[in-house]
Amino acid sequence: MSPSELTLLVLRLGFLLLLWLFIFGIVYALRSDLFGQRVRKMKTDAPATPVPAAAFAAASAAPAAAARASAAPTPPSSVGERATAQNATRLVITSGPKAGVEFPLTTESITIGRSNDSSLVIRDDYTSTHHARLMLWNEEWMIQDLDSTNGTFLAGSRVAIPTPVPLNATIKIGATSFELRR
Amino acid sequence: MTLNTAATSAIPADPGPKVRVPQKMRHLELFLLLIACGINASAVVLVQLGALGAIDTTLLYLGVTLSVLVIALHFVLRFVAREADPFILPIATLLNGLGIAMIYRIDIANQESGWESAAVRQTAWSGLAIACAIAVLLIIRNHRVLFRYTYIFGFLGVLLLLLPLVPGLGREISGARVWISMGSFATFQPGEIAKIALAVFFAGYLVRNRDSLATVGKKFLGMRFPRLRDLGPILVVWALSMSVIIFQRDLGTALLYFGLFLVMLYLATARMSWVILGVGLFLGGAVLASQTLQYVNGRFTNWLDALNPAVYEARGGSFQLVQGLFGLAKGGLLGTGWGQGRPEITPVPQSDYIIASLGEELGLAGLFAILALYLLLVARGFRIGFAGQDDFGKLLAVGLAFVIALQCFIVIGGVTRVIPLTGLTTPFLAAGGSSLIANWIIVALLLRLSDTVRNQPRLVV
Repeated sequence: MSPSELTLLVLRLGFLLLLWLFIFGIVYALRSDLFGQRVRKMKTDAPATPVPAAAFAAASAAPAAAARASAAPTPPSSVGERATAQNATRLVITSGPKAGVEFPLTTESITIGRSNDSSLVIRDDYTSTHHARLMLWNEEWMIQDLDSTNGTFLAGSRVAIPTPVPLNATIKIGATSFELRR
Repeated sequence: MTLNTAATSAIPADPGPKVRVPQKMRHLELFLLLIACGINASAVVLVQLGALGAIDTTLLYLGVTLSVLVIALHFVLRFVAREADPFILPIATLLNGLGIAMIYRIDIANQESGWESAAVRQTAWSGLAIACAIAVLLIIRNHRVLFRYTYIFGFLGVLLLLLPLVPGLGREISGARVWISMGSFATFQPGEIAKIALAVFFAGYLVRNRDSLATVGKKFLGMRFPRLRDLGPILVVWALSMSVIIFQRDLGTALLYFGLFLVMLYLATARMSWVILGVGLFLGGAVLASQTLQYVNGRFTNWLDALNPAVYEARGGSFQLVQGLFGLAKGGLLGTGWGQGRPEITPVPQSDYIIASLGEELGLAGLFAILALYLLLVARGFRIGFAGQDDFGKLLAVGLAFVIALQCFIVIGGVTRVIPLTGLTTPFLAAGGSSLIANWIIVALLLRLSDTVRNQPRLVV
């Protein structure tokens, strides 16, 4: 028995529908890649409460800071010795929800952002999906901002170009600060 | 990725080798894989309903063989690459299966069966190709080993490329000398494998030499142009691809290699001047070739003046191209349905023109679905490159993904008359063993790269 015209029409449309459902299924599974990681709700009593004000103040000062950073690519050496592969051994979180936590540094670069494939995942409202990167460049640790929305701050000034990181200098991303230490 | 959010937050940062981690990525992959296999099987059934009017269960193994093989590959991944990207395998499976269904449909129209049937041969080649992919995953446990053999891969690539020119070994089919004969029954296109070897070579070479390519040079018209001695590699690759056009009469392959090299050069150095220089060189070479070489000139005429009756009627004219366009037009928005169009009117509807055949039977909606699958596949490749930590892995992942993208553009662009038609295979879809093997090896390499570059967060704040 040969199938009727109507059966074939329904099957034809059903097949196309199935094909597109498969594609949208993949796109749905990929949504965090396309639209960024979901923001985690901060607890109301988290130590991050004063941060919005600070972040806004910093953001408004950003153009000036950026101009300064591009004029003088390296921060004043008075901050301290530069962090190198030899003298920096750990990354310590100094403020934010996980203050006090640390992890050892290796020679691999460290990506920072809200995305799950970052080495240091920071999930708050002020962090971009791929926010910044710490990498070894000629044996020295450099911080590079990856065009983040709210900026990366090294010792208070916004990072515009890859900048060497001094030991014990505070790097601030969103509500979290950290330092490279011996 | 959303689906491994739970996995990464639930497990400690460094799961020991003995800890049994739930394989979220692999579960997702298996789920998508089963859907893809279901779509493939329903495509074969619909072909039978449309073209034969009844379901012929004796030939259902066309769908089943592929499913069994890819599920075997999936279980290999569970052991040797558990963090690999979960989308690449289902997408490749679906494309391969749609190709087999279409080839089977054309076999029915041409009344071929058994080993004469292209669909049976395509299924066998798919099996071999997936076996190759499994072998690559088992042998290459870390992509860094490829970096060690950079120059060997470069040599291998050129050797494979020149193999068809060896007298007695090479074979000329429809004007292009890109095949070698293996015994009396099969031909093989070594250029397809060469593209992988060359991608490895380019990635390794550029990682080693990019500093001098990126930073030294004279400024001219606001752009920094390279020194003459740094120009060496680009000129060598250019000469190589031009010689492919001249001696093997294969414009598409030449464009593929040259485009691959340019993109990787741009990625490694981030300098627009290389791209401008390269595109200029290629366009210059192509225009020169179209003026001097009869074969290239014919392709240009067919492209620009396809609907002219004189060109259409001419021997080696635009008959095939225009038939493909007619087929696409007949398909319209939703297509004629599997088995109900007449794609067999176009010459070689199962290889070069499989996109026109699919467009006729699945319509614009189906064709765009196929393009979306390619887009997702290539985007996954770029994403792997972006997430990578070492420069060699980054360059290799993007290079391999770009090869698939460029090949799609060259062949689909040719069939739809966006660019002059050149003979290249549509990745995964078109009938052809060497192309299938090469593309499944690319899939295996991307899976391996995505597993080794996957970055476990060291700390989640």
